Amino acid sequence: MLELYHWEPNGSYLKPLIALHEKELSFRGRYVDVLAFEQYQPEFLPATRETELNPEGEGPVLVHDGRQLTESLFMIEYLEDAFPEKPLRPSDAISQARILAWARFINEVFMPGANTLGCHLCLAPQFKGRDVAALEPLLARIPMKHVEEGWRLALTDGYSADLLQDSERKVKLSVQRIEDALAQSAWLVGSTYSLADIDAFAICNALTTLTPGIVNGSATPRTVDWLNRIRARPAVRTALSTTRTGNPERAFAPGPEHSRWG
Amino acid sequence: MLTLYHWEPNANSGKPILAAYEKGLDFESHYIDLLGFDQHAPEYLKINPNGTIPAMVHDGVLVPESTAMMEYIDAAFDGPPLRPADPFERWRMRWWCRFFDQFIGPSISMFGWKFFVGPAMAQRDPQELKARIERIPLKERRIAWSKAIYGTFSPEELAESGRRIAFGAAHIEATLAERPWLAGQSYSIADMVGFNMMAGLPMMNAEVANDTKAPHLMEWLRKIYERPAVHKSLALGRTQMMRRYAHLDRKSA
Repeated sequence: MLELYHWEPNGSYLKPLIALHEKELSFRGRYVDVLAFEQYQPEFLPATRETELNPEGEGPVLVHDGRQLTESLFMIEYLEDAFPEKPLRPSDAISQARILAWARFINEVFMPGANTLGCHLCLAPQFKGRDVAALEPLLARIPMKHVEEGWRLALTDGYSADLLQDSERKVKLSVQRIEDALAQSAWLVGSTYSLADIDAFAICNALTTLTPGIVNGSATPRTVDWLNRIRARPAVRTALSTTRTGNPERAFAPGPEHSRWG
Repeated sequence: MLTLYHWEPNANSGKPILAAYEKGLDFESHYIDLLGFDQHAPEYLKINPNGTIPAMVHDGVLVPESTAMMEYIDAAFDGPPLRPADPFERWRMRWWCRFFDQFIGPSISMFGWKFFVGPAMAQRDPQELKARIERIPLKERRIAWSKAIYGTFSPEELAESGRRIAFGAAHIEATLAERPWLAGQSYSIADMVGFNMMAGLPMMNAEVANDTKAPHLMEWLRKIYERPAVHKSLALGRTQMMRRYAHLDRKSA
């Protein structure tokens, strides 16, 4: 049996939702209210060596016949390996390597940039005026220090001007890379829709509302066209319809950290 | 034809080298002097426009990113498997690769630069170093290089790196107490990436990587060190840095 613990269909949570629906796999979706810290309650899934630490930050957990998996891109690679029917990954080695290389760039540059902007614009305002001291016991349960620090930044809206500027630079650089790739082909890797498109779309989908100055029809026409082609896919519409807030593009929680090398 | 452009056979440069040798492949080797900034020279940028090392070219096609190169080698060539066949173990392999590449790796390299590379760079002409940093194409790499060369790691950054290394070593130790290899029952790309990042640890961070505190981690490093492919790979080294592997030799210990 497949179960997916997920929050709003945005960012890392959106990737497995799309892949499961694209592959027409039946699964039980378990909605986790990340802002209520349900993922840190004692009754949440018992952690394993790998899932107790999540370099991705907050993100989905897939449970397949009792085995837990985190890391949204590796999770959808797993779905390809375990369920090869209705493939979302080209079968040649170079395309597969290009998907992994996109994933690393997305993890290290695109996600940290988009996530910091999203947390600043959409998450931090929700904590204004709330008793954040009451959250201390929950924050103390977070095993990775950078994720705990990510929450503390959001609770206090403590994003420095440098960090926000660097995040914007990273988002621009990433969108430009997508725009350039789409000048060569309709999809990011090879000539078909693949895991790389799902990976990048999950981060990019929110940007038409979050950073309309960066992603828009005149500055990035190919990216906007690509977003619309993906949004029109039935599996993607179903994935996006799992929202409970009605605004999944505003759902951000601390994600992967920025490179510590600058 | 398979061609690798690499520096010393450790960290990222060592990854595709070791994977190729484990797969039983030979390749054309081009040694790029990282500290001489050969990777930013125009002739190298024609091969890899990002100016990063390593680069791998197979039959004229550039294969990106060091960990992806290892998966590529396994997928594109015949030979002993480098990845578990079981999908869950393969997921675990990738999880550990990311743990090394993005969580522990940067901390270890900060120590490596501070103790080995930074002092070596201080001997070079400052004007020439400045000019060479300025021609690095990626901003991330420019910042990293200036930090490394001018030793601008703050005490907080170094303390955080030390904390992560201790945390990571303990996590690996606990995992290897439960199973022989990181992904499960077989030696895989996760162990190769781990060895490339961690082999210097008993020397640089002996307080967390020693036989009393981390016996499984130490045994894992020694077992990998003894593999013929590792010896072949280390033989491509040209600098003193290779001495850091000597402490893994059971005979000299």
